[in-house]
Amino acid sequence: MAVKRALITGASMGLGAAFAAILAGDGWELVTVDRQPHDNDDAHSSAAARFQCELSDPAEVTRLLEGLEQGEGFDLVILNAGANATGRFEAIDPDVIPRLVHLNAFAPMALAAGFANAGKLKAGSHLLFISSLSHFTGYPGASAYAGTKDAIAIYAKSIRKPFAAKGISVSCAFPGPLRTTHAERHAPTGAQAEKRMLPEEAAEKIVAATLAGKKTIIPGLGPKLFSIAGRAFPRITSRVMRHLIYDRLDREVW
Amino acid sequence: MTALNARRRRILLTGGTSGIGLELIRRWGDRHEIVTTGRSLSSDLADILENRPSITHAVADQAKPMEAADRIAEALAARDWETLDHAVLNAGTGFAGDPASEDTARLLETLDTNLTSTMLVAQRLFPLLEKGRGTLTLIGSTAHRGAPGFASYAASKAGLNGFARSLREEWRGRIIVQVLHPGPTRTMMHQKAGLDTGRAGTFFTPPAAMAAMIDHAIARRVAGRRLSFLRYWSGESLLARGL
Repeated sequence: MAVKRALITGASMGLGAAFAAILAGDGWELVTVDRQPHDNDDAHSSAAARFQCELSDPAEVTRLLEGLEQGEGFDLVILNAGANATGRFEAIDPDVIPRLVHLNAFAPMALAAGFANAGKLKAGSHLLFISSLSHFTGYPGASAYAGTKDAIAIYAKSIRKPFAAKGISVSCAFPGPLRTTHAERHAPTGAQAEKRMLPEEAAEKIVAATLAGKKTIIPGLGPKLFSIAGRAFPRITSRVMRHLIYDRLDREVW
Repeated sequence: MTALNARRRRILLTGGTSGIGLELIRRWGDRHEIVTTGRSLSSDLADILENRPSITHAVADQAKPMEAADRIAEALAARDWETLDHAVLNAGTGFAGDPASEDTARLLETLDTNLTSTMLVAQRLFPLLEKGRGTLTLIGSTAHRGAPGFASYAASKAGLNGFARSLREEWRGRIIVQVLHPGPTRTMMHQKAGLDTGRAGTFFTPPAAMAAMIDHAIARRVAGRRLSFLRYWSGESLLARGL
């Protein structure tokens, strides 16, 4: 059987590194896209090709796309790279807002559309977007981030049928808090890290569900229950989120 | 007749050149102070501006978010406004078609115009709205729940919805944040987006009625609401006219 090819953005750390480790272990050929070259990372160094790209810069994304369109197609594309910006919205550096929209929403949308248009997503392939549990709950204390993650969730939902007609299965994952260094930076002081899911566990569940063609993936029971509460009682859930996060914010982080 | 009729108010309205924005200016122009912005000055708007010093217009192209936020801040400073009663962030754009055929330039223009700029402007307006104990209204779309032929537009409007939902909690007690989602409206947007509405267009809500419903929703300070044909025919536009 031919070796399957996967592309992962943001593969150098956190959830992305966990995706890379799982797929490399299962014999996938990996193409990774990262902001910086991370030579010491085991999973990462197993990649067949590595691209360096500042995905928050639309001009670099356009150039990356032109480069990738010259190469072979993919069986799985994981558009994972993303960043948060926490703090009172009015206190966040305005320069961060466009970067967040471009990294979290523009880059995955541009890569998805570009790959589909160039025929780089093979028939029977899988395309995975990473949104956030905040899609169901609101996220006071990260309003701009919440907006970008809602954008990508609805983009994934919107393209599902047109992409299915091309033989591409579209999934979107909504992970809750994970035990990553990125989450650590943004969590309120005193938040308990051990309550957060390990990225390896989340990645395992997400990859399995994606390859099974599941469209909405919420890894973990706690996050699943929270998503149900968010949809059933949006106002109460938003208040709870304010209490859990916004009222405990002591700093702006981006 | 306007639902906002208790006192003279200071209103910032983005995207006042045509469509729903223009109708809001027609509605509010005689009673309130308005600063409006758009990519250009349309002849329709120029006619309204004539002999009305209470309405001023500034050119701001939201496809360039940082510049647009600067132009809007300058337009408010030019009126010596340090407080604001209402900000209605209505400017938007969109392209229809197969999502795979949307090129990077169009995706970027849609996201920057509809989402990035709106976020940046909202942030700039914070001190003025806080001083005025004002209302921030984001104009979304019923497409925010997803639309296969309008994917990036739907995504940008979903972004506004999620942003507003979280910001509403952040600013609770200081500034009212609301997001209103107009359904299909008989404006030029669909033609500009490259969509042939065909006979369905006949059933779209007239822009003046949509403006009436928005006016009403702002006055009632609702958190979020879909504004559609159904609501129009069920009589909300009559209510909004104060009948």
